Amino acid sequence: MMRSLFLFDMTFWLYLAALGLYVAYLFAKRPAMQMIPAGHPIEDLEGRDGAWATQLGQVATLVTVFGWVLNTVALTTRAFERMEHSGTFAPWSNQFEAMAYVSWAIILGYVLLEFRYRIKAVGAFVVGIGFIAMGAASLLPYRYQTAEPLVPALNSYWIYIHVSVTLTSYAAFAMAGGLGLMYLFKERAVNRGSQSRFYAAFPDLETIDELGYKAIMLGFPLLAFGIILGAMWANYAWGGYWSWDPKETWSLIVWLIYGAYIHARMTRGWEGHKAAIYAIFGFLMVIFCFWGVNFLLSGLHAYA
Amino acid sequence: MNDKPDAASDVSASAPRTSGLGWEEFSREVVDFFASIKLAMFLFIVLAMTATIGTVIQQGERPETYVQEYGEEAYRWFLRLGFTDVYHTWWFTSLLGLLCVNSLTCFHKRFPSVWRSMRQDKVSVSLAFIQGMKQQTTLSLNQSRDAVAERLVKLFAEKGYRVLAKSDPGEVTVYATKGIMGRVGAHVAHLSATVIVLGGLLGSYYGFQEFGVCLEGQTYHIPRGNFDLRVDKFWIDYHENGSVKSYNSTLTVIDQGTPTTTKTITVNDPLVYKGIWFYQSSYGDAWDQIEAARINIKEKGSDKIIATVDLEWNKEKAVDGLPLKMKMTDFVADFAFNSTEKKVFSKTAEHANPAIRLAVDERSSVQSTPWVFYHYPDLFEIKDSAYQFEFIGYQPKKFTGLQIARNPGINMVWIGCTMLVVGMTLSSLIYHRRLWAKIIPGESGVTLHLGGTTHKSQIDFQKEFRKLTEKINAQAQS
Repeated sequence: MMRSLFLFDMTFWLYLAALGLYVAYLFAKRPAMQMIPAGHPIEDLEGRDGAWATQLGQVATLVTVFGWVLNTVALTTRAFERMEHSGTFAPWSNQFEAMAYVSWAIILGYVLLEFRYRIKAVGAFVVGIGFIAMGAASLLPYRYQTAEPLVPALNSYWIYIHVSVTLTSYAAFAMAGGLGLMYLFKERAVNRGSQSRFYAAFPDLETIDELGYKAIMLGFPLLAFGIILGAMWANYAWGGYWSWDPKETWSLIVWLIYGAYIHARMTRGWEGHKAAIYAIFGFLMVIFCFWGVNFLLSGLHAYA
Repeated sequence: MNDKPDAASDVSASAPRTSGLGWEEFSREVVDFFASIKLAMFLFIVLAMTATIGTVIQQGERPETYVQEYGEEAYRWFLRLGFTDVYHTWWFTSLLGLLCVNSLTCFHKRFPSVWRSMRQDKVSVSLAFIQGMKQQTTLSLNQSRDAVAERLVKLFAEKGYRVLAKSDPGEVTVYATKGIMGRVGAHVAHLSATVIVLGGLLGSYYGFQEFGVCLEGQTYHIPRGNFDLRVDKFWIDYHENGSVKSYNSTLTVIDQGTPTTTKTITVNDPLVYKGIWFYQSSYGDAWDQIEAARINIKEKGSDKIIATVDLEWNKEKAVDGLPLKMKMTDFVADFAFNSTEKKVFSKTAEHANPAIRLAVDERSSVQSTPWVFYHYPDLFEIKDSAYQFEFIGYQPKKFTGLQIARNPGINMVWIGCTMLVVGMTLSSLIYHRRLWAKIIPGESGVTLHLGGTTHKSQIDFQKEFRKLTEKINAQAQS
């Protein structure tokens, strides 16, 4: 019945295809990449790869970009549907839409990362998370997926900015989590002296670590901004800027966890392995804040 | 960290020397402890862990609820540890206070060196210092010392660096720096914690938050603001599918007897008067008043219904064709009787056992005020009356739930929040980097030693450093 649902579905399949292509790309790549110093573009070595690995990589990028465009179209369509049904534009007004938006932001982040740093291997992890987010959204019961009218408390212009900023920070943390996972994989391969072709296309450990840190450095202020916007909204809607509602508290907990991470990084010894594990742990906390709180704990945010 | 070594000298040297036994060392230790990143991490983690308690255990519930769910022994422990109101316990507040102390001490200890490096920095460094940097390179250039120095200064300045150069006999040292605001940002964010916490304290000591249940048409005195509030109207708007779209109350402020402001408030759009905010917070069925009630009148003898009347609240009505006048004077949603005070009251706000009190005037001779029950039609009988009354239906009266609050600390909180966001954004987007170049004349041309450091964003800096090196090389060849 809703056109956007079809588009979200298509996005899901495209992300799945992109994920498959990135994994295939990793398998096709030859183990010649360990020589590259951190941060250097790999164009000079591209020619040495198997030609079809390069092609696979290109197709993977293309499919990802196309999926992202479709995701954008789906969200825009949903925005118009919302306008018809519920008097708001924001295509992130329920759990399903929020998930679709998060995967949109994750994929956008990944595409920007790929264009800036020319590292394709990250795609196998980060596009994977975007795909899982989209898949989890489509597994929600149908009544969560439609554009039902908003309850009065949500019907405000604050929803445009508070929700989008917070969800964008979640996407940044998802990116960091994916990179953390990638770091652990690569580290294991390095420690075992693995000659597997699978790890050939991975950037070196330092680069993965630094990229993960950057993602968190982006997500951290965004989450703070999102929480503060939420406080300002609460001040208009609930009669107080902070009421220790479970969602509020959990977003603060997540923020504190990353706050500890950022301070820990300032001292030595909190790079690499520990940081990677911590980034994954942080991301799990984000997932709990995003999903767990809505379904397990009651509170003012339990609208879905 | 580059900013650590020179910080210790700033520590309160002016403190009185009471014992002579290493007071300075002691105070330095104390400052080091409170300014430490370890303490910050500890506080972040402990705050995060303790904050979860309040999301798992319901806060501010009645004792019965806890006893029922967790048992008596557990509830005793909850009380001892403050788990029923975690966020206002002395220990949670102390943790927040400690976080403020931590960030302030950190500011005190580390900001002076940032401030100094904003205004001036160490230009002269040893060659070993440059060579020990993470990013460093050595170039041989076939040009004169001064030409190279001049070009370096120009190149760094073009890239937005602040450049200082120093000419020593023989060699020239060039120093360039950029992005100090990233560090200033971190300190601004640190200060914001204290501003926010102080704003919160101000609010909780001098502010208030109350909940009022108001009925349409009534005027309420607001003692905290010394004015009156009249509820003119309350209504609910619905979506096409029947779900609630919005609920609204039209409120009029009456100050010194004269109506001054009228506003229709709705969720997300409060009324503000003299610093007091009125929020549309909820609505529901009133428990002490209804709009109308429907009564069946039965004849006692035959037990037949002879009339059905609809009574409006507190309005006397003469029943057609019967020598009977009736009025509904009271309503309780959940009937209960206090036997010591001889008073009827509503046990809860739920409409569990609704009852109304009638004032019946029969032939102007029998007068009675019976309670009639919705669920128990035959409970009471009026002596001497020819009739039996049955309470068969009613139209509830909606109340509007208003949240009334004043928070004098709110602006301070917003200032703190702005500082936090601005500070964090600066410190995550801008990173401080410093470059040093030493130009040492050799036999043919000069040797250039270039080194650079940053406190984060290593890959970006590495890239930038490489590009700079390439550019210097390219320029030298042209």
